[in-house]
Amino acid sequence: MKEGFRQSMAWLHTWSGLLVGWVLFMVFMAGTASYFRDEITVWMKPELHGLPQARVPTVQSAEATYAYLQQHAADSPRWFITLPTAREPSASLFWTKPPPPKGAPPVDRRNRVGRAMLDPSTGQASAAARETRGGEFFYRLHFDLHYMPALWARWIVGFCAMFMLVAIFSGIVTHKRIFKDFFTFRPKKGQRSWLDAHNVTAVLALPYHAMITYTGLVTLMFMYMPWGPQAAYKDSGGTQAFFAEAFAGSAREQSKAAGRAAPMAPIAPMLAQASAHWDGADVGRIAVNSPNDANAVVTLRRADGPQLSYEQPTMQFNGVTGALIGTFGDATRPAAETRSVLYGLHIGRFGDPLVRALLFLSGLAGCLMVATGLLLWAVKERQKFARTLKQGGRVSVGLRLVDGLNLGAIAGLPVAMASFFWANRLLPLGVADRGEAEITWFFIAWGATAVLGLLRPTLRMWQAQLALGALLFASLPVLNAFTGPAPLTVSLRSGPSAVAGFDLVALALGLGLASAVWIVERKRRTSAARRAAQAAQTPQAPQQVLVASEQGS
Amino acid sequence: MASLLLALVFAASLAGFCALSLAMDRHSEDVYGRGSTPGPWRRWLQLGGTVLLCLSLGASLQAAGSSIGWVLWLGALTAAAQATVALLGLAPRRFPWIGLIAAAFAVGGGLVYLLMS
Repeated sequence: MKEGFRQSMAWLHTWSGLLVGWVLFMVFMAGTASYFRDEITVWMKPELHGLPQARVPTVQSAEATYAYLQQHAADSPRWFITLPTAREPSASLFWTKPPPPKGAPPVDRRNRVGRAMLDPSTGQASAAARETRGGEFFYRLHFDLHYMPALWARWIVGFCAMFMLVAIFSGIVTHKRIFKDFFTFRPKKGQRSWLDAHNVTAVLALPYHAMITYTGLVTLMFMYMPWGPQAAYKDSGGTQAFFAEAFAGSAREQSKAAGRAAPMAPIAPMLAQASAHWDGADVGRIAVNSPNDANAVVTLRRADGPQLSYEQPTMQFNGVTGALIGTFGDATRPAAETRSVLYGLHIGRFGDPLVRALLFLSGLAGCLMVATGLLLWAVKERQKFARTLKQGGRVSVGLRLVDGLNLGAIAGLPVAMASFFWANRLLPLGVADRGEAEITWFFIAWGATAVLGLLRPTLRMWQAQLALGALLFASLPVLNAFTGPAPLTVSLRSGPSAVAGFDLVALALGLGLASAVWIVERKRRTSAARRAAQAAQTPQAPQQVLVASEQGS
Repeated sequence: MASLLLALVFAASLAGFCALSLAMDRHSEDVYGRGSTPGPWRRWLQLGGTVLLCLSLGASLQAAGSSIGWVLWLGALTAAAQATVALLGLAPRRFPWIGLIAAAFAVGGGLVYLLMS
């Protein structure tokens, strides 16, 4: 090895970061938004903003969902009920439809399930709420991507996350003055400032970055590395047996329907028994297998609480007699518990709003870290072309490509996200498949910014896209005031607090993007002044120099 | 009480990072002008900063329990360090005063909490 260890790590850091940086930026942005996915969903359903904020007792909302399902899905093979929480005031219902009789034409996959949101205080479907994917879209986007099979997407995202982990650790080695430069940010110094910004956003949130990347891989570890359980459980039932043993809490009784109708036992005593067993913790989800059948099984899952671990214990009851079948996952083994805690750390559903706000802040630092890293590569690479540019030449195809992709990813994504929210409020309510239409607008906006960025990666274009993003985000509270019942003046005083929080964060993001526009403007002025000085020296400077030196930052 | 503890977590970590940054030559120059060093204060600033960060950890574990408390503490450290960097850049003149107020609040709040519990 001719080069030193640090130099080789610097090389590794540069290339592992650059190759996957654009995907990572999107994963970080969408993942950061997912910390508030319930709140985003609430904001995107303005019809529900006027509902009373008081929590309904768990028993009452469970009984309301039962009554609703009996009325609308009595013949379904399976019900899934998510009870309301402090963050999500409506109960969400999901059920599978009975398979079509033999010989009938096959049903489209999307029509094989039913969904409803229920207002637990009235027991009526909040039918008024518009159809939207809400925050769930960002959550899915950050590991399932879109427009492709989820399995491929997870391999792609996992590949990028592995590169990210490599980039983090090689970055620590490369950055030799972590403690000396801990608080250092020197603005207005070109490449120096970019490097400082990259270091500060990376180092100050380093525990978060390492944690989120590693735990992200852990969430899908059985997909990326299935060989351990496969080998160990080869002769004793395969991976199914492994999962049943390792994650007893999520074990599902695979009982066959008897085909004989039987009345269902009331849910209230089961809820009381489960809650007593879990020291007063609430029930979060109910799953019913073969409802209204002699073999009905009811599974109750504990609500997310103030624990780091993600897996929750469950209890199963006979759906007809109401007798307890068993309790699962009360005592997890150390390995399963470790995975569960790592998983829980990643999705961050444990905390109160403050902890999640801190995770959100660290996530934003992660976005900035990836963005400044990508820009830094372009800034450094551009210096190699300083002389060529002076003589009227062009930069390499690679640099031009990176410039364009940087623009489309970093400046374009905020525009796309804001467009998604705007589409949510402005599309006519009657549009067919409205949830998918909002997503289409997200990708139209992103596609347009990416194409424009690749065609003209200039400072002007950076400014235009950042300004558009700033405008779209900062005016979301105004849009909300005109298209919903809870503008900031109302939501700040009497809730819903999720809506107030969304509006304020959107405003702050808009202001942040606006300050980025201002930074680009300053940069554009200094380079314009330099160009003017250059033009004075060589009066016949070709037009291309002007265009070329305007690029990049 | 809970909100006092949470305020304590943030004040103590901000004050701790302010002290630790002032113990460094570069940031001492940022605040007090070219050529100034913390001199004999350096050890005390480092010691005080470390104690304040430990105080913040204690308050955090007390406020959010021994598992989520660690997450809260690391999150608060990140936020406080970012605030320190921003303050060094934006308000170097007022920087020592902000740090001092945060430290006074942290120590005072800690005493109030101990007396009241």
